[in-house]
Amino acid sequence: MISIKNLRKSFGQLEILKGIDQEIRQGEVVVVIGPSGSGKSTFLRCLNLLEQPTSGEIRFDDHLITAKNYNINQAREKMGMVFQQFNLFPHKNVIDNITIAPIQVKKMEKSRATTIAIDLLRTVGLEDKKLAYPSQLSGGQKQRIAIARALAMEPHVMLFDEPTSALDPEMVGEVLDVMKKLAEKGMTMVIVTHEMGFAREVGDRILFMDQGQIVEEGTPDQVFSSPKHVRTQDFLSKVL
Amino acid sequence: MIRKKLQKISVFLMIAIIAVAGLGKVAFAEGDTASKKTIILGTSADFPPYEFHKIIQGKDEIVGFDVQIAKQIAADMNANLVIKDISFDSLLPALDSGRVDFIISGMNPTPERKKSIDFSDIYYDGKQSIMVRAEDKNKYKTMDTLKGAKIGVQKSSLQEEIGQTIEGANLTSLDKISDILIQLQTKRIDAAIMEEPVAKASLTDNTAIAKAVPVTDINGYAVGVKKGNPELLDQINKTVARLTKENKVQEYVDEASSLVNGQQKKLDTFSFFWKYKTYYAAGIKYTLLLSVLGVIFGFVIGLFIALLRMNRIAVLRWVGMAYIEVLRGTPMLLQLFIIHYGLAISLGINFTALESGIITLSINSSAYLAEIFRAGIQGVDRGQMEAARSLGMTHTQSFKTIILPQAIKSVLPAIGNEFITIIKESSIVSFIGVADLMFQTQVVRGLTFAALNPLIIAGIIYFILTFGLSKLLGLLERKLRTSDIH
Repeated sequence: MISIKNLRKSFGQLEILKGIDQEIRQGEVVVVIGPSGSGKSTFLRCLNLLEQPTSGEIRFDDHLITAKNYNINQAREKMGMVFQQFNLFPHKNVIDNITIAPIQVKKMEKSRATTIAIDLLRTVGLEDKKLAYPSQLSGGQKQRIAIARALAMEPHVMLFDEPTSALDPEMVGEVLDVMKKLAEKGMTMVIVTHEMGFAREVGDRILFMDQGQIVEEGTPDQVFSSPKHVRTQDFLSKVL
Repeated sequence: MIRKKLQKISVFLMIAIIAVAGLGKVAFAEGDTASKKTIILGTSADFPPYEFHKIIQGKDEIVGFDVQIAKQIAADMNANLVIKDISFDSLLPALDSGRVDFIISGMNPTPERKKSIDFSDIYYDGKQSIMVRAEDKNKYKTMDTLKGAKIGVQKSSLQEEIGQTIEGANLTSLDKISDILIQLQTKRIDAAIMEEPVAKASLTDNTAIAKAVPVTDINGYAVGVKKGNPELLDQINKTVARLTKENKVQEYVDEASSLVNGQQKKLDTFSFFWKYKTYYAAGIKYTLLLSVLGVIFGFVIGLFIALLRMNRIAVLRWVGMAYIEVLRGTPMLLQLFIIHYGLAISLGINFTALESGIITLSINSSAYLAEIFRAGIQGVDRGQMEAARSLGMTHTQSFKTIILPQAIKSVLPAIGNEFITIIKESSIVSFIGVADLMFQTQVVRGLTFAALNPLIIAGIIYFILTFGLSKLLGLLERKLRTSDIH
């Protein structure tokens, strides 16, 4: 579904991604772990070109999205993204936050977009907040709304960029629950996270990144129980 | 994508500019429909009994003996007379730029003026006199006693030249006779040089005409026309000769003087306002029109400039920056004069005074608003743009529906301040003769020679406008904030 070839990204002199090759398959939940500054978020943000790769190729649903003349908005419609800082639109209420993209991008009828939004709100357990403004919500509620907002575009893949890092500990669970349900429904997901328990439980495949490279990958059991690489061992001994 | 947005905005701007330009065209066309030709008189109507405003049967009219002469000239030419009230200082530029066809404004044909315009024969030979405070009446018996005195005169007038010949005199040059009178009453000056008819018309219990009489070789008043216009000059001279022969001019002077007399009466501020309310009402209308249009156009242009200023293309960014820096770095009065007179003389672009005023206010405020918008747009968290783009929205869609509303909301107080500033600063259009609140205030001052009342009333009105607006904006802000508690 997403195929990444020799992806490199530099900010000025600093090379953040040093050649990444990956294949994300349909229905797969891929969890990216690694120390801070290892390039996890940059890697994720390259997938929908929020960061423009310095070189390399990314294919999504058989389109070469890194091609110069490719209209990236078409790919982004099918790639939902959830941010660490939620990035809800503060001047719009919950329903409008969720329906704005279907209405503007897919030219969907407002009534139909609203029906879909209410359904999604039910899924994330926030139907009663449909008229609230983001400033009236807790962090966990905001992130669940952000997930619903991304899902409203009916994406083929969901990208999560440290979705629980900005949350108070007691709110982490409600967001992870929503993500878990999503994974169970067969959604293709790429998740950057520090929640190792969640990674182990939900992930089909774990990528361990360090210094701009994928150092080790495998099933959760392989990576967490018997890490091969010394840097993986070192990292896991610190976080587990 | 951003280019598409810019295209849309520039098309809108062009329409706006054409619409403004069109205003002038329409007005011009209407004037043309009359079969008689039109001749435009320029005069500074704050100079009783030569030319001044007076309410006659509820209508504000410019009257005075200069106006009578202008009417005779127009009648002899079988033309419609249109009178334009312009500050004395701006009469020559107005003639030069073709905004008026001739000027009659108690103007002496000095050699200096003769360099730039042509004058008719003298139509009235006025004497000069020295006006002093009543208690000083006997202090200044001869011109010699004025040596070293502080003397008030009207700016760029013959009296100013006379003043310059008085040894050691300390001259104060002002635009309005009423200002000179206030300076005299408040002892900032010791004496004022004025035409005799003016001095007589403006006498009060506190002032007197001294025995000293200024002498000058240039006496009398003449009609001014643009250089290289012998036919018009000939025609005017014929009328002047006829009026002199029929001894009509003195008759007009007496008539006008009697119109002035009885105008001054002590009134309290409110009664004063009530008596001259039509002037103030007319002024408020223009002040509001100018401010509202200035703000609307300033808003649109400012947004466009802000987009230029933040553009990815360096040249456009530079253009935006230059626009902002130049407009913020030069006085608005200067911008007004360049647009109104400068463009007319150098490029033949003749905006009406109202158009020039609107354009100046719009572009001036647009520079400030552009910086306000830029601050607002840059103040929106970049995660907002990323979130919108990650949903597949285009750059334009994201900017329009996500970034801009938040930016404008956050800079609303700053925009409100700019609106209030425009209301106040719109007063500068009075310099080019737009009859706004400030202009009407000056008219009332010229009319009544009242020192304080016209100014206090104008102050109160400006305050009500700005204070009312700031309260209104505060209300709007609170309303917006309830939907977005941070």
